[in-house]
Amino acid sequence: MPDNQPLWLRAVIRLERAIGEPIESAVRSDTYFDLVSTTTRVRRKVMGTAEGVSRRCLHLLNLPAGSDMRGMRQQLARMERRLNQLSHEVGELDEDGSGADV
Amino acid sequence: MINPRIPSTLNPGELLTRVNRDVERSVLRARNGIRYVRGSHRPALGMTPKEVVWKRDKAELWRYKGGDRRYGPPLVIVHSLVSRSYILDLRPGNSTVEYLTRAGLDVFMLDWGVPDDLDADNDFERYVDWYLPRALEAARSASGHEEVTLAGYCLGGVIAALYAAGYEDPGVRNLILMATPVDYSEMGAMVALLREDRLDPDELIDETGNVPADALYSGFYMLAPTVEVAQKATFLENLWNDEFVEGFQAMATWSRDHVPFPGAAFRQLVDLLVRRNILMTGSMPLGGRQVDLGTFRGNVLNAMAERDNVVPPPAVEPIMQLVGDPARREELRLPGGHVTFGTGKSAFKHTMPKLTGWIIDHSDSPS
Repeated sequence: MPDNQPLWLRAVIRLERAIGEPIESAVRSDTYFDLVSTTTRVRRKVMGTAEGVSRRCLHLLNLPAGSDMRGMRQQLARMERRLNQLSHEVGELDEDGSGADV
Repeated sequence: MINPRIPSTLNPGELLTRVNRDVERSVLRARNGIRYVRGSHRPALGMTPKEVVWKRDKAELWRYKGGDRRYGPPLVIVHSLVSRSYILDLRPGNSTVEYLTRAGLDVFMLDWGVPDDLDADNDFERYVDWYLPRALEAARSASGHEEVTLAGYCLGGVIAALYAAGYEDPGVRNLILMATPVDYSEMGAMVALLREDRLDPDELIDETGNVPADALYSGFYMLAPTVEVAQKATFLENLWNDEFVEGFQAMATWSRDHVPFPGAAFRQLVDLLVRRNILMTGSMPLGGRQVDLGTFRGNVLNAMAERDNVVPPPAVEPIMQLVGDPARREELRLPGGHVTFGTGKSAFKHTMPKLTGWIIDHSDSPS
């Protein structure tokens, strides 16, 4: 710790370390990682269930749900990726004229 | 207790000087505090002049200007997939690429951009066998050299090593691996959530097909969740110092500015690198072939940060047994952490001179 630091700053840094070190040990423990895994899984499950219910409700009214939009977006992205790939391949074929480097 | 900062005798002249200084600093603190809260006067980042010499999808190859390019072959830096590349060009006077450029090197940076839905299928093959060979060809063509010095930072180092070892004639004279993890059993907290009995990669991938930037930020943040308090206190104490404020803001901006991780590459990372720790076998399956890391015949520099808590030294050290020819490997241990060994005062005192010296020693002298 540099000597020219004021006392209040030294105190804050010491306090932060005093609190921070046990917290860091805790968040690097197996218990913490297991807890985060479980929480993430439960959250995804709850959200998936809620999404399923809302999707069925919206479909009853013949309305598209968020998941439909997402699916459509993913399909569009896949198409765009393929188009980009093809355009790169065509560009490279034009550049080298041999067609070997695709 | 006697405060060592206050001399026992203080004459009126010194007292007046101190009072003046404190008043002046208080005014500057107030001014900079208002600017900080208002969000004005944000530092400009990534300002070293550059030109885009190649672009495919979101990947761009930049060539930096400003130096007299005395040495060859050109240096191509491959950035990581999880963070923004401007960390290596943070701000004028505190920029790795600026330093390297001024030293006479022809510096290129391969920046991956910000992945979105369109990049969800990008796997390691896409980076190693598709983007990188094309970017390097562009660098060779722009510089007029047949070879390059290839430097990879963090995961960019894994991509660079796989490329250098994955081709019979990769055109790479020197391979520099900076904070590049190979032993994932030593990565500790960074990968602990991804072990077999915990989260599957798909549980972290969102509707865009990528791991969201927030998830990556949380991973880094949780390594030291309270340290921000001490950083903010230090910032408050130095709020009068324009240069400190600018540096602090630049680093704070970068540390929150993560990019999504392409889903396909993330699945491979978890399956091959984290769970099977495959790089420790010395080879990795890639694009239907087996890439043996030991086949690279150029010079290898393994640069690591001694206090790196993201990629700890034990995760990096095995490079010295695995990558390239044993007679042509060198190790460089540098002070600092994962980021600070490449940027900031310590980097300019230790990393930059050593790194630049090594590159120049393994380059052609000016003609």
